[in-house]
Amino acid sequence: MSKEMSYSKAIQRLEEIVQSLERGGIPLDETLKLYEEGAELLTFCQQELAAAEGKLNEMKLADIESKLSE
Amino acid sequence: MRTGNDLTTGPIPVGQFVNLVRKTLRQDKLFQNQVITGEITQWKRHSNGHTYFTLIDSDGQINAVIWQGRCSIDPLIEEGSVVVVIANLDLWTKAGKIQLVVSKIALVNKLGVLEERKKQLIADLRNEGLLDRPRLELPTIPHHIAIITGSGSAALADMNRLIDNRWPGLRRTIIGVMVQGENAPSEIVRGLLAASKLSVPEIAGRLDLPPVDLIIVGRGGGAPEDLWAFNLEPVVRAIVASRIPVVSAVGHESDLMVADLVADLRASTPSNAIELTVPEYDYHQMLNMSLLERLDDAAQRIIIDSRKGLQLLQSRLVNAPLRGVYNANQRVSELANRLSNVVADKFSEERQQLHRFTTTIELSIQKKLADETTRLAVLNTSLNSSNPSNVLHRGYSMITNKSGSVISKTEDLIEGQQIILALADGRAKATVNDIEEGDKNE
Repeated sequence: MSKEMSYSKAIQRLEEIVQSLERGGIPLDETLKLYEEGAELLTFCQQELAAAEGKLNEMKLADIESKLSE
Repeated sequence: MRTGNDLTTGPIPVGQFVNLVRKTLRQDKLFQNQVITGEITQWKRHSNGHTYFTLIDSDGQINAVIWQGRCSIDPLIEEGSVVVVIANLDLWTKAGKIQLVVSKIALVNKLGVLEERKKQLIADLRNEGLLDRPRLELPTIPHHIAIITGSGSAALADMNRLIDNRWPGLRRTIIGVMVQGENAPSEIVRGLLAASKLSVPEIAGRLDLPPVDLIIVGRGGGAPEDLWAFNLEPVVRAIVASRIPVVSAVGHESDLMVADLVADLRASTPSNAIELTVPEYDYHQMLNMSLLERLDDAAQRIIIDSRKGLQLLQSRLVNAPLRGVYNANQRVSELANRLSNVVADKFSEERQQLHRFTTTIELSIQKKLADETTRLAVLNTSLNSSNPSNVLHRGYSMITNKSGSVISKTEDLIEGQQIILALADGRAKATVNDIEEGDKNE
């Protein structure tokens, strides 16, 4: 998957994949390809959700400056 | 000291006289702590630290001095400023010049002056094309927000509370700065610089953090002068220079700062900044789940449909004319092979990737794929067992007429007819000698 992939692009592509699978009429191997791509995108989205979790750091300006210059 | 009335002792030395004048001036309350207004001309901040100028209006003028450190001087004061001063009248004896010694100086209509500067700055920015420059795109899900605002402020408390409502535990770094007063502009600029450094992956990595991908800079409401740092050029330029998106969030809805005009996004208040930039965790988790379910449902239905299609082919095969048998048989086994190969291939690729993540969602995808693979394997086995060539290997043979139609009933035969026997390894021609119709129920 491209490094440029963003969460919103992934969701948009997922929506397309799901819709074309729901419409049907696609050859079976194409279906499996789409499914695989969808699974990959969902994994990416879950990673994105998890990546936002972190802790709250609160620092005075001088403290963060000294930390950054270490 | 002699007085002016004492004429008997001769003339007064001029220095003594000037000192006498000075003493008189300094004793007269009218000339001490006087509040005077006028326009500044010949404004000069001397290298010795003192500031000299002349206060003037259409009716008169007087020299003035501000001794170093005696009073703070608004940086906005310059040549032409209209000011009000509190000053004592004094005489500089060496030069015989009268001057005001200023103990306080302030701009008259400071807000008017500030507004003028703001207008000028906006005009400059517009000329440089900075107001119409393309803005940076905000991340849908920020991984690390830097918030530059007053530490311990109500605005910060509001923002933190809102973030935790929308996305509990969202990663953020708060950079506490002065947001009003003399040091505010430089501290805000330094805060923006620190946040920019934290947006560099290597630097953030050293602190075990993902890079900052969004900056919010702002403060809660206040008097116009209190918000003014966000109208000053250094702050505005620092926002323009940022490589990552900056949201300005200053004061209330009605306060429009120059920072708002150049930021990548203007929020009307600090709380509004959070509403605009922090997504709701529950919404996105549900969106993911529903897409997963729809993806799986659709794929499952397609696989079930194709399985039905294969079964249909299989049953048609049983009654198919011999010439078609080989073709159909080939098609079915090809299809079945392709199916199981594709599924197996994709499955193994998928597994390698999925193994790295073990969230419930990935596990459920794995399970679905495993189920489908098993189902296809079963299907493949049952297809093979009904393959007509397997049947022929078991000793059965198939009869067709010359045109290739399968003959399965005696009523389709006539004595003396030429028929073709299909055996496991070849064909044989034969002639019908005698027909015995069996029990139709058999």
